[in-house]
Amino acid sequence: MWNQIRAIIWAQWRSTRNHLPHTSIGGLLFTTVLTALWYGSFAFVAVFAGILFSRPEELDAFHKILPPSLLLCFLYWQVIPVLLTSMGASLDLRKLLVYPIPKQALFGIEVILRVSTGVEMLLLLTGAAVGLWLNRAVPRWAPFTFALFVLFNLFCSTGVRDLLARLLAHKRLRELIIFLFVITAALPQLMLMRGSQGRMRQFFNSEPSSFLPWTATARLALGEFSWSSLAVMLAWVLAAYAFGRIQFERSLRFDAAEAGARGSSPKRKVSRMEWLYQLPNAILRDPLAALIEKELRFLSRAPRFRLVFLMGFSFGLLIWAPIAFGRASTPRSFLSDNYLTLVSVYALLLLSDALFWNCFGFDRSAAQVYFLVPVKMSTVLAGKNLAAALWVLMEIVAIAVVCALLRLPLTGLQILEAFAVTCVITLFILSVGNLSSLYNPRAVNPVKAMKTAAQSRSQILLIFSFPLTLIPVALAYLARYAFDTEWAFFGVLLFGAVVGTLVYFYSMQTALQAAGERRERIIAALSRGEGPIES
Amino acid sequence: MGSDAAIAVHDLRKIYGTKAAVDGLDLEVPRGCFFGFLGPNGAGKTTTIKMLMGLAPPTSGSIELLGLPMPEQALAVKGRIGLVPDETLLFDHLTGLEFTEFVGRLYGLDRSVARERSRELLVLFELDSEPGKLIGDYSKGMRKRVAMAAALIHRPELFLLDEPFEGVDAVGARLMKDILLDQVRRGATMFLTSHVLEVVERLCDRVAIIHEGRLVKSGTMAELRTGSETLEDVFVRVVGGAPHAETLDWL
Repeated sequence: MWNQIRAIIWAQWRSTRNHLPHTSIGGLLFTTVLTALWYGSFAFVAVFAGILFSRPEELDAFHKILPPSLLLCFLYWQVIPVLLTSMGASLDLRKLLVYPIPKQALFGIEVILRVSTGVEMLLLLTGAAVGLWLNRAVPRWAPFTFALFVLFNLFCSTGVRDLLARLLAHKRLRELIIFLFVITAALPQLMLMRGSQGRMRQFFNSEPSSFLPWTATARLALGEFSWSSLAVMLAWVLAAYAFGRIQFERSLRFDAAEAGARGSSPKRKVSRMEWLYQLPNAILRDPLAALIEKELRFLSRAPRFRLVFLMGFSFGLLIWAPIAFGRASTPRSFLSDNYLTLVSVYALLLLSDALFWNCFGFDRSAAQVYFLVPVKMSTVLAGKNLAAALWVLMEIVAIAVVCALLRLPLTGLQILEAFAVTCVITLFILSVGNLSSLYNPRAVNPVKAMKTAAQSRSQILLIFSFPLTLIPVALAYLARYAFDTEWAFFGVLLFGAVVGTLVYFYSMQTALQAAGERRERIIAALSRGEGPIES
Repeated sequence: MGSDAAIAVHDLRKIYGTKAAVDGLDLEVPRGCFFGFLGPNGAGKTTTIKMLMGLAPPTSGSIELLGLPMPEQALAVKGRIGLVPDETLLFDHLTGLEFTEFVGRLYGLDRSVARERSRELLVLFELDSEPGKLIGDYSKGMRKRVAMAAALIHRPELFLLDEPFEGVDAVGARLMKDILLDQVRRGATMFLTSHVLEVVERLCDRVAIIHEGRLVKSGTMAELRTGSETLEDVFVRVVGGAPHAETLDWL
């Protein structure tokens, strides 16, 4: 078994190493710098945590802050990947199942790979552990109990990933499952909105139950050894192991094609979305209309895109509502005044991977066709961009409709503002996205609702480029604040739109040049598969 | 069942939604036989081979490979099988040598043995001229040849071959056929799906034809043919296809 584990890890290492020469030096440098910045910031916080936890005089304070900190750590590890619809690296079981590899070996590797969704938390826990180890008031064995907490998170994350991956493979049911998940994940926010703050405050201020994993870990890590705390922690680890193992075994027996076929109805010949697909034909001429129609048809059938589109107007609304509106008695704030815009921008962020950053990667086989048919690449890019803009528009309409249904305070000006802001940001994202799609094309499986790469280059690109595209909008808000007039806001926004249009056309020229020069590399990159681990 | 056959499939079914991709398939492949598994597109060949490989669990029915039940004895069975699977199961970022060595290690071979055999196999399949080339950059024929090389590395008793000659040039195909026939002479069993009926006719001693998920014909070549019929004639007759005489006007 160990030989096979070693072989899989070796093959993954060789795959990663072999792939490096195929990556452009600029791209590699960019990824390295951004990765260093991202993890560097967490390493910085880890050092701070280390210094803090090394102080013996603060031990009493640690008893208060450590359990909620570990709870946050747990939530980051388990919930953030779901929020970003990204489940980290995992074994490509489809490729490995044909070989005689024991299930426990596959499970072992899968558990180790769950580290990929919580590297940031591992850094912080290491910092805290080193601090506690240096703390004279804490016994030397105590920080090592964090290992149990890490194990608990790894097993839990394995179970959540496998469960979600299977649930999301069910056609039709997929949307319902996501909706239920959204409701569950947003329950605390809903409670806050419904005026249950008192009970919530009581919950957070009360002495944390010693049966919770973060409380038990905190007590052990601070040197308060008790057999009951240890038993509680071991019980949680065992429960998480059982959950992870059962879900993993089920995934091994799972047939995605069968689950996907279960919800399909062979009787219906005309799609309910036909009106949407025909929309471009009513306004534009071929080949542009045909290209947009193809994009609309393809994306509406891609589970990954459907998921992020649905999340935009459901999850986004619920997640941001309590932050924006908080308590009923809270006076109006910037967030509550700009709630619709805020949710629209979050939705744009969710949609960006499919629509902007890697617009050829989702329908990779079509990329080859674009180079073969007698259509200019500028028309292809324009088709993709117009289809993207149409999806963004529909997302904002959906958000506005749901807001109205939930009777959230909305004015016509706020709706106009949300549209205007999103349009300006979209112009800038399209400019960056066209370049990124041609300089960094990646094959993406559109059937997989959850991304596999937790910290892939596109994700880092999103984290660092997205804020840059927000600058013109931020300036518009600054102008509104400084001059206290809507004219200043919309004036700056209009200026941003003009600059955005110029940037868009300039980037389009560069993108077209790249498409011509990098044709072979683009096609090769889009036709590549992965190693034994999908990353 | 406890059959002595290399492959024994009983009442095998695979339902996708409301459609039966494989519908009550009964099949027995004797050991040491070169078995051709034919059918038109969408007949259920790939689904059957996926179930045999353990990639798709059957909806109902039973599978026995080399006398062992699947999936109960999957680990023991998989170790004795060689696969030339669908191209998508290859690892594009590995070189041919790395891939075959990796597969050898997954089959439990010692690393040095796996590496040595990989080198020899790549020379045999004429894939050694560009050692640094990644499988992702291979041509279709080269991908099939490297898959075949990996399938041979642990000297399996049963081969499951899914369109192994697709895209392979005449010289490469001849080499592969010779190796496969040699393996059959050694006592191995071949289970081959192919659309190239001439290849099946030349290599296989038994053939089964599947259509719409059901077995419609099975037997030796002599049993299938009537008179001077070729396998293609038999195939067209059995699956009910008829050549369309008329074409589209505008064409």
